[in-house]
Amino acid sequence: MKSQPKRWNDPILVAAVAPLAIVMLVFFLIPLAMTVLLTFQTTQYYRLHWTWDLKIWTEIFSKPHYWTIMLRTVGMAVICVVISILIAFPTAYALTTRLKTYSAQIQILIIFAFLTDAVLKTFGWILVLDRQGVANWLLSYLGLGPEAMDILFTPTGTMIGMVYNLAVYPMFTIYLSLARIDRDLVLASYDAGASRIRTFFEVTLPLSRPGLYSGAVLVFVLSLGAFLEPKVLGGGTSPLASELIRQSFETRVNWPLGAALTIVLIAIGALTLALAAAFVFRRSPAAAGGQA
Amino acid sequence: MMSQRFKNALVDTALVGSVVLLLLFFYAPILTLVAFSFTSSRVLTFPIDGFSLQWYGELIRKPDFFPAVINSATVAAVATIFATVLGTAGAIAWIRYQFRFQNLFRVVTFAPLLFPQLLLGVVMLLWFSVLGNWLNFSTGLVTVIIGHVVYITPFALVIVAVQVYGFDETLEDAARDAGASRWDVFREVTFPLLWPGIFSAAIFAFLLSWGNFYVSYSLSGTARTLPVFVYSGIAVGSSPIYPALATLNFVPALLLVGLAEFMRRRALKRQSSAQPTS
Repeated sequence: MKSQPKRWNDPILVAAVAPLAIVMLVFFLIPLAMTVLLTFQTTQYYRLHWTWDLKIWTEIFSKPHYWTIMLRTVGMAVICVVISILIAFPTAYALTTRLKTYSAQIQILIIFAFLTDAVLKTFGWILVLDRQGVANWLLSYLGLGPEAMDILFTPTGTMIGMVYNLAVYPMFTIYLSLARIDRDLVLASYDAGASRIRTFFEVTLPLSRPGLYSGAVLVFVLSLGAFLEPKVLGGGTSPLASELIRQSFETRVNWPLGAALTIVLIAIGALTLALAAAFVFRRSPAAAGGQA
Repeated sequence: MMSQRFKNALVDTALVGSVVLLLLFFYAPILTLVAFSFTSSRVLTFPIDGFSLQWYGELIRKPDFFPAVINSATVAAVATIFATVLGTAGAIAWIRYQFRFQNLFRVVTFAPLLFPQLLLGVVMLLWFSVLGNWLNFSTGLVTVIIGHVVYITPFALVIVAVQVYGFDETLEDAARDAGASRWDVFREVTFPLLWPGIFSAAIFAFLLSWGNFYVSYSLSGTARTLPVFVYSGIAVGSSPIYPALATLNFVPALLLVGLAEFMRRRALKRQSSAQPTS
């Protein structure tokens, strides 16, 4: 596919670009700028007061309570990334190398599970993880102890939900980069006498790096905003940043505070993306190419 | 020392097993919901007491979820149209054209995909609240639709972009050489060739919107979509009507995904049969 150069006075280009650009400008970029602006305002009697004030930022930076929760959120996100990748890689690898015939059907099944209402799925996990739920029934049926597992309403429950909702992303990024690998490279490695395992670690794994990294970054960034999982499966016992943001809007009606916490979270995500773009994807030209 | 063949078989089994486990993991809550929807008991404990359809009957007798279904369907239908059209135009601009500020365009149109949905919802809520104060409106279904369009368009764009990427532009040249006008070329060549991608993008967009909780939760105001309705319901207490509702919810989604797959295959078949045999 060749791409054709177009100038801005070409009406076709304007027709293709302008509507989407305007939507994103008015409903995404301006709101973002607005949120930053709001962090410098104050509230009086639950009403927004337009000024120029650093009060909120000094509050945020002086209260360790916020940072404990932010740190916990980042920690959960990191754990979620590791588990998601560990789940996603073998399955993506199996889909490209072992289950090629059924790959399309399996992907449909995965996409269907991914697209189903997240609230319902999370509620489904309650029924699975409950003391008298499916998981405990299965464990006692298999004779693995009469002791019931108490996973529901713990951070483990939150983590299961987060991995459940996000593991799909690295699965697809890894699958795409594995599917792009030239089979001849693998065969050449075998011809040169390398074992399967050595070929995997020296050819396949390095070549799948773009998918691996972009999947990891995606999971990290998206898990920063996890809200349903800690609320419904974690039982609110160890709140994450999302809960803090919800409280500042709904309970405390302090918009500047909510806006500032949102910006902190966005900044963490943006910084991660920028670092990934600068270090990880710049390193090899192949990796950069895989980012199209 | 294990024999090589045994080792290979072990690796094969482990890999295939990992996919089976993954599918079990992904379907554990879904199948559980389906199972519980047929329980005859009021308490949701496993194994279920007995088979009954009473909770489906309960849903019909007490259709208080119905306005939420109408809202969800309206939002999903309108958001799908906008997201698909904008995504298609965007995908063509992403792949087929080169222009100044193209990278900026790419970054901005892709960014919502990298945004945690909750934060996207919050950011837009703040904007709509401020705007609503000035222009005197409050959040409702319209703001939900706008939120969904912003969130879903990047997904649609990526899906259509894949189709645009594999597009053979010599077919357009051929049509133009044969004397077709610009509009004819688009209608008779470009659009039919992109249609499989556009169609799957539309289905994807519809389901993303239908199941969306985060953006709707932030932006719906007093209006409720189905996920928001279920969320406020399970916050109060679980009841067997939710598994029944969930099961009913899975059926149209399954049909749509099946339809998309059917269309994709038909397009593939047509493409391969249109290929000249050399």
